[in-house]
Amino acid sequence: MLKTLILSTTALAIGVSASAASDLSGMSWDDIVTQAKAEGELTWYVWYLQDDLRRAVKSFEDEYGIDVTIPEGTSAGNAEKLIAERNREVGDIDVFAWGYSDFETVDLAATFSPLKMLPADDGRVSELVGIDGGDFVLAYWGNQTGIAYDPAKVSADNLPQTPEEFAAFWSENPGKFGFNYEKGGSGPSFYQNTLRSLTGVDFSNGEISDGKLAKVEEGYGFFNDNAENYVVTASNADSIVRVSDGELWMVPAWEDHLAGLQKRGEVRSEIKFYIPEMGMNGGGNGIAIPNNAPHPAAAAVFVNWLTSADTQTMFNRDFGTAPMHAEADDSNALVPNDQRANRQPWAGQPFRKAVEESFIENVILER
Amino acid sequence: MTLRKWLLVLSLLTPGIGLIVAFIGVAVYIAAAQSFGYYNLAGESSFSLEFWDRMLDRKVFSRAVMYSIYIGVISAFLSVAFAYPLAIWLRKPFPGSLAIGAMLKAPLLVHGLVVAFLFINVISYHGILNQLLQGIGLWDEPHRLQNDRNAIGVLILQTWKNMPFALLLLTGAVQSISDDVLNAARDLGAGSFDRFRKVIAPLTVSAMQAALIIIFIGALADFSFQVIAGPTNRQSLSQLMVFFKDGGRWNDAAVVGVSLMIIAIAGSALLAAVSRIVMRGRIA
Repeated sequence: MLKTLILSTTALAIGVSASAASDLSGMSWDDIVTQAKAEGELTWYVWYLQDDLRRAVKSFEDEYGIDVTIPEGTSAGNAEKLIAERNREVGDIDVFAWGYSDFETVDLAATFSPLKMLPADDGRVSELVGIDGGDFVLAYWGNQTGIAYDPAKVSADNLPQTPEEFAAFWSENPGKFGFNYEKGGSGPSFYQNTLRSLTGVDFSNGEISDGKLAKVEEGYGFFNDNAENYVVTASNADSIVRVSDGELWMVPAWEDHLAGLQKRGEVRSEIKFYIPEMGMNGGGNGIAIPNNAPHPAAAAVFVNWLTSADTQTMFNRDFGTAPMHAEADDSNALVPNDQRANRQPWAGQPFRKAVEESFIENVILER
Repeated sequence: MTLRKWLLVLSLLTPGIGLIVAFIGVAVYIAAAQSFGYYNLAGESSFSLEFWDRMLDRKVFSRAVMYSIYIGVISAFLSVAFAYPLAIWLRKPFPGSLAIGAMLKAPLLVHGLVVAFLFINVISYHGILNQLLQGIGLWDEPHRLQNDRNAIGVLILQTWKNMPFALLLLTGAVQSISDDVLNAARDLGAGSFDRFRKVIAPLTVSAMQAALIIIFIGALADFSFQVIAGPTNRQSLSQLMVFFKDGGRWNDAAVVGVSLMIIAIAGSALLAAVSRIVMRGRIA
């Protein structure tokens, strides 16, 4: 028994090391697909909608006969795992999903394999909201923050577009607008764009300086003066649930989050969504293959499938995402294309964290 | 004892103490070292008081300390206060007492997150509590009860979750008091309150201290109830720690974590001393 155990463990270790060490760059795509099928499995680290994504990858599993495992985990937890095991010869992560701007925080070449082995496809997106993923990262999930509203209470012709118009809405309808400051990025997108719009500070530049932060602080009066007229919610999900429940009339939300909940019947289908003219943050999530992926060929085939026009059309239909392929169909999006011009890139780090901390201290704790 | 015997005793204790040192000691050491600038995952690691210095100046930190102590102390006292009369009531078995005891302890089996979400559903703007109070004509319109400013929701959840634990400890202690002792007190003219104050309380003070301390430590470090049902204009220490950690600021998170440990130890000692003085009228 012990002998069998030792032998099988050794064989497994050798097999895994051999597959991880293999270089795909010299192989044809057909050979890569053949090797991927031989590997037979891969692990995709993605931190959201895991249940839905497990269903979504079924068509990939059926097509290639490769099993996809999606473990539970948070974005921060997955990132910590990626960093903690970057020096291991063979890691656990085959395909790693992350917020597009988060990829800026690591050395791409030292962490991920180049994706040059993929068949040529000009429709894929590797540069998003000013961040260039180069040969290492491809966008697979386009998302956008905006305002979800109840059209039974708020006229679509009279939606607030600027901070001043939001303040007017708050005064006319006290307690009917809510936003979160943590547990999700939709609320932070709202208050950061309001601050950007009010103060003119360049949020896209991640540099921190006392002068820049002082300028941002000038915008806090706007929130403190109107504190009695808006509600602070607990999270992205809490905001959407409360607008669906009729308690709130307007809340910041993620387009794909709202579309997914509506599709599953968990939120009223009447709730509408728009991107105000002052701009709100949009971007997406990217995907990359760690250098020490245990199943590199299967990972490459999966990335090719995930970023294809067909899969991007399916994501738009099933999740309401903005497609990340030029030839994909985006007819199921919640907002018309012209509103996407209002999309703003996320604030650069570490400036964004500094603003968030300062906002909590000077606005949230002052309520 | 000779050195040899000391070594023998220590080696016999190693399986127990060794585990404590290995699992708790190492974690405490890393947290403490990180709070002084070591084990920096993202940047340079070197000794620095900067993280403590900056944190102690932050309003968000001092408010989180006060808020967490408030939740910890009030939750511990409320849980024990509700558990005492129930423990005394259930001291002597009566028909159905076993079933009642089991039902009262049921919250121990329910995860805190589940309770928090159920609670939010009950008190939500169009939840059953609002509907009931409007239905019986007490309120004209729904009230916003979720994430209340005084953390009443969190205190309700903490007490609901922790009272059964206090009950478990106190029931055992109260049941160990013999009838003879209580009858003797009664013969000497002690009424119900005097029997509680002069006999039951001093004899169960150890169990009560244990309940107070364990509940205090748990509630002080509350994260799940706070982020779901807590006030949105306050942050608990755990919430603050996670906020820093999520931003990659491990050293700041470690300062909050170490503060949490210090407050837990100091607060526990204080609670134990105060409860002993109050219940026994003396320290020893």
